[in-house]
Amino acid sequence: MAQQANQALPNGHPLEEYVIDRQLSLGGFSIVYLAKGADGKQVAIKEYLPNSLALRTDGQVMPIISAEHLGAFRYGMKCFFEEGRALARLSHPNVIRVLNFFRANETVYMVMEYEHGRTLQEFIQKHQGHISERFIRGVFTRMLNGLREVHSHKLLHLDLKPSNIYLRADNTPVLIDFGAARQTLSTDQPMLKPMYTPGFASPEHYGSRKDLGPWSDIYSVGASMYACLAGSAPQAADERLKKDSLTPAMIRWDGQFSDRLLEIIDWCLNLNHLYRPQSVFALQKALVETVTPPQSKSSPHWLNRFVDKFKKAEK
Amino acid sequence: MRFTIYQESRQGGRANNEDRTSYCYSRDALLMVIADGMGGHHHGEIAAQIAVQTLADSFQREAKPSLADPFRFLQKAMNNAHHAILDYSSRRRMKDSPRTTCVACLVQDNVAYWAHAGDSRLFLMRNGRVVAQTKDHSRVRLLLEEGMITEAQAAVHPDRNKIFSCLGSPTPPEIEFSRKTPLAHGDVVLLCTDGLWGVTSGELMAVSLKGANLLQAIPMLLTQAETKGGPHGDNLSAVAVRWEEAYVDEASSAISTQTMALNEVTTRLEEFGRNPAYKSDLSDDEIERAIEEIRSTIEKYTPNK
Repeated sequence: MAQQANQALPNGHPLEEYVIDRQLSLGGFSIVYLAKGADGKQVAIKEYLPNSLALRTDGQVMPIISAEHLGAFRYGMKCFFEEGRALARLSHPNVIRVLNFFRANETVYMVMEYEHGRTLQEFIQKHQGHISERFIRGVFTRMLNGLREVHSHKLLHLDLKPSNIYLRADNTPVLIDFGAARQTLSTDQPMLKPMYTPGFASPEHYGSRKDLGPWSDIYSVGASMYACLAGSAPQAADERLKKDSLTPAMIRWDGQFSDRLLEIIDWCLNLNHLYRPQSVFALQKALVETVTPPQSKSSPHWLNRFVDKFKKAEK
Repeated sequence: MRFTIYQESRQGGRANNEDRTSYCYSRDALLMVIADGMGGHHHGEIAAQIAVQTLADSFQREAKPSLADPFRFLQKAMNNAHHAILDYSSRRRMKDSPRTTCVACLVQDNVAYWAHAGDSRLFLMRNGRVVAQTKDHSRVRLLLEEGMITEAQAAVHPDRNKIFSCLGSPTPPEIEFSRKTPLAHGDVVLLCTDGLWGVTSGELMAVSLKGANLLQAIPMLLTQAETKGGPHGDNLSAVAVRWEEAYVDEASSAISTQTMALNEVTTRLEEFGRNPAYKSDLSDDEIERAIEEIRSTIEKYTPNK
C-alpha cells in the first residue's frame, strides 16, 4: 500500500530563529531542510516526523498525530533525542556537527551544520566507474576517522552508505544521518520499522539483529567501497545469504586496482561477521599500508594471468 | 487473525500416551498448549490432562475476545494447573503427585507470548531457521551451558530426562517467560515434546517446515521421528501454527487507520491502550529536559565559543 508522504514546511517558513530555504530530503522518519540562521549562515534542519505515525497535509503546519499513535510517536521522539544526544557529544571533523535542538509544531528539530558539497553517492553517479584508488583510499581513511569516533562513543551508525557520506568542497568526508543509530536501542519496537538500505546493510541487519556490532558498519564500508568501483550497490546481504552471486572485488577488478585494496573490500564484505575486520582501527591500518600500484597486465589471457601470479610468488 | 494450525500426538513405542496437546482460539487470540506427563511418576497422563484442560478452560473464560495481559494469563493459568494437580492427588490420597511438563503459547495482535516449565519445547521458525526456542529446565541443559558437556554428550547423557521444574511437584514450578515476540508473515511456532525434538533437531525441522503445508509436514515429521525412536520410542506430540499476518503490516500504516470506519478506530485504540509497550513514559516535562540536556551538551562540546 502506498504510504502517504508528509508535506514539507513551505519555503520561507520561519522556524525559531531560522528561515526555511527549501527541503533537502524526505525520509521515512524525518524531513531535512536547508535553512538560514539569524547570522545568515546556512544550516540543515532535521524535523522528526515519522511517516507512519504523524501526518502533515498540504498547507498545514501542525502534523496530525492520532491518539492511537501518540505513544509510539513519543517513543520515536525518544530515539530522536538519542540521536541528538549522541551527536552532540561528537565533535569531529568527519562527523556532522549538531548546532541546536528545539521543540516546535508539536515535534522536535535538530539543527546541523551545512556546507556546500555533494554526497559520495552523487559523486559515484557522476564518475561512474572512474574513481581512482587514491581517491577511495583518501576518502575512506578519513571517513573511518569519523566512524572510529562514533564507535568509541558506543554508538553504531547502522545506515552507512554512499548517500550518507557527504563530501565537502575539498573532498573531506563527513558522516551524516545517524537516524538508524537508534536501532541499537530499540530492537523490539515493531512500530518503527528497522531501517536499512539493501546492498549496504550487513547480514546482521536482517533477522534478530542481536549480532550487530562495529563489524556491521564495516560491512557497509566494504559495500560502499565496492559501489565506488562498480558504480552501483552490491547484491543485498539477505539475497547473498540465499544465493551469493556477488563477484568478489578480487576477481572483478583484478589488475585495475591494487590487490590489497580489493582484498580489503572482500574482507569487509564477508558474510560471516567474525571474518571481517573487527574494528575500524584494524580496517584503517590495512587501508593506509603502503600502496603498491597495480602492475599492468600485458596478456589478458587467463592462463597467462596464472603464470603471472606464479611469477610474482617466486619473487 | 489468519493462520494454519495442526496438532497431533502419537504413542510411539510406549504402552500409553502421556502427552496431551490442545489449542483454542477466539476472534482475537490463540492459545496452544502441550504437556508431557512424566513417566517416572504415576498417572503422568492425568497431570498432563489437567494441565492442558486448566489452560484451555481459563482461555475460554477470559479471552473475550482478547486477553488483558497475556503474560499474567499464562502465569495464572499455569499456576492454577499446578495447584489443580496437587489438589487432585491429595483428594485421592496419592503418595506421590503426578507431574507434567508444560509449554503454552499465546498469540494476540500478531505478538507471541510463551511460558514453559520442564523440557517440552517451543521453537519459533522464520525462513527455515530457528529464531527463538525455549531452554529446557533440565540438568543436562545446565551442564551444557556451563560447558561441562558437549551437544553430542548431552544427546546420550543418562540424566537427559531429569528436569528441575514441572507442574504437580511439591516444589512450586519455575515458570520461564518469553519476551513479547512480534510475528512476521509465514512464521511457524512449533510446540513439541521431547519425543520429537529428542530425535530431530530444531534446525532440521525448521528447514522441513519452511513453506510447507503443516497439515502434511507435521505428520511426516512425526512419522520420521517415530521410526527413529524405534520400538521403545517415547510418546511424541506437536502443535504447530503458521502465522499468515505480520505485525508491521497491521500496525504501521497511517492510511489504513485513516480510511477506517469510526467504530473500527475505536476498537484499535482499546487494543493499543492495553498494550503496555505503547504507553509512553515521555511527558512534556521530560521532552523539555531532554532538549535542555542536548543543548547544554552541544554548548559544552562546541569549540571556540
